[in-house]
Amino acid sequence: MATTLLLDGLTKRFGSTVAVDDLTATVRPGRVTGFLGPNGAGKTTTLRMLLGLVRPTSGTATFDGRAYEDLAAPTREVGTLLEATGFHPGRRARDHLRVLAAAADLPRRRVEEVLAQVGLVDAADRKTGGYSLGMRQRLGLAAALLGDPPVLVLDEPANGLDPQGIRWLRSFLRSLAEEGRTVLVSSHVLPEVEQTADDVLVLSKGRLVRSGTLAELRSAARGGTAVRTPDPARLRAALEAAGSSATDAGPDELHVPLAPERVGELAAQAGVVLHRLAPAAGGLEQVFLDLTADAAPSDGAAA
Amino acid sequence: MRALVRAEVLKLRTVALPLWLLLTTLALVLLGVLATILTAGLEGAPLQRDDPQLLARAVASASGGNVVVLVLGILALTQEFRFGTATPSFLVTPRRGRVLGAKLIAVSGLGLVFAVASVVVALVASLALLTARGDSTSWDSVGEVLLGVVLVMVLYGPIGVAVGALVRNQIAAVVGALAWTFIVEQLLVALLPSVGQWTPGGATAAVLQLGDLATAGGEDLLPVWAGALLLVAYAVVLSVLAARLTLRRDLT
Repeated sequence: MATTLLLDGLTKRFGSTVAVDDLTATVRPGRVTGFLGPNGAGKTTTLRMLLGLVRPTSGTATFDGRAYEDLAAPTREVGTLLEATGFHPGRRARDHLRVLAAAADLPRRRVEEVLAQVGLVDAADRKTGGYSLGMRQRLGLAAALLGDPPVLVLDEPANGLDPQGIRWLRSFLRSLAEEGRTVLVSSHVLPEVEQTADDVLVLSKGRLVRSGTLAELRSAARGGTAVRTPDPARLRAALEAAGSSATDAGPDELHVPLAPERVGELAAQAGVVLHRLAPAAGGLEQVFLDLTADAAPSDGAAA
Repeated sequence: MRALVRAEVLKLRTVALPLWLLLTTLALVLLGVLATILTAGLEGAPLQRDDPQLLARAVASASGGNVVVLVLGILALTQEFRFGTATPSFLVTPRRGRVLGAKLIAVSGLGLVFAVASVVVALVASLALLTARGDSTSWDSVGEVLLGVVLVMVLYGPIGVAVGALVRNQIAAVVGALAWTFIVEQLLVALLPSVGQWTPGGATAAVLQLGDLATAGGEDLLPVWAGALLLVAYAVVLSVLAARLTLRRDLT
């Protein structure tokens, strides 16, 4: 079940533009890995190289040592959802999946199973031309799940989903990772993966500018932790005893320059009741924006 | 490979296009039969009403859908790029040549279905019309011509797929193919048969034994067997070129 993805010196040049520059990273099983970066950072090109759709200028991308095109049954080994993936507008959703299942030599019942999994059973006989963006994403996800693969590579899967859809996607991705699958999810919006990802790869202008666990990235957040407690004085004393500090940030609320995990531990040791414990607003997002600053447009909005 | 062919057949069966193209084909076949039989015997017409070849000439109209099948082949491929279904196709089957091969087979099969329907319609319409008019209904060379019809209809689809793979842009491929078959080839075959006989259209006319109708001076085209081989060669060479040249491109 467990498959490890390895990107090794992956590079792609389009003419004189370097889209992806010497990217080396490991994506581990049983975890959700967020692949972050502003639009145009090279995420899609990287994923397409990983999946054999774009030929790397140099470097390799492998699944447990095998390139995608060398996989015996790719659909059973890697599930994919890519942004530019299209549907014939005149073909019914169910037929779209039937075509893919036929090509991959998968049993017909898998089509019904994945339709149920993504909640599209009632709309399965409609032509995809009439589908909303959110329904297309669900259909794409259904296609990714057809072969019940141990690896999922999803490019901006939250695009077009409504808030309920995004929440559903989050718990869905978590459950896939908890089953031991390797889940790689790209996004240009940090909050989308913030609550789901265990690991992050941050790409900026084709270069990997950060890789590690989300917790590590959080602790690098300059914003520290916002904590609310009915007893701020005791918490402050406990933090100062541990060599840290705290500043007032409103009634019963403190701001601490430590990671939330550490603040929680210290509070527990001191027996202080907490009502809220969270990364300070903008903290993680600020790290992300700083990391990718060079690539962002001048107005700062990397949409 | 069988699974892939099944998938390609399913792709064709789950969209409305083939049905519309089949109806177009049958309409063209009927028009061809009517034109051939109703003009027979008129002043300056190449055929007389008692010509023993009249039935064979009329049922040769069953190949009238060859251009339609050509367009079907082009669309079967270019729509994958136009609608972005090429990405999932190549993700399921990273060996892109196998996808192309399966598509060639599936489109040939559909061409065979079109051919059978066309032959039935052409035969029934021709016999009905000729009998009603009291014209010759001799079966002279009808068998060979119908074999030729089937061959042409089966081969034009794959040629279309290959053209689509080489050009990739749907509008350019369709417009280019239509301009080629209706203008360039017709002129070459009619006015310069020594060159025109080597074009797919020239080979088609040879297979259908329509040389004297296609050329301005009634010159001979290639023998039937050579025309058939030439059509097969076009389908094979264009497909191999497509697999080698364009299919390997990055899919961004």
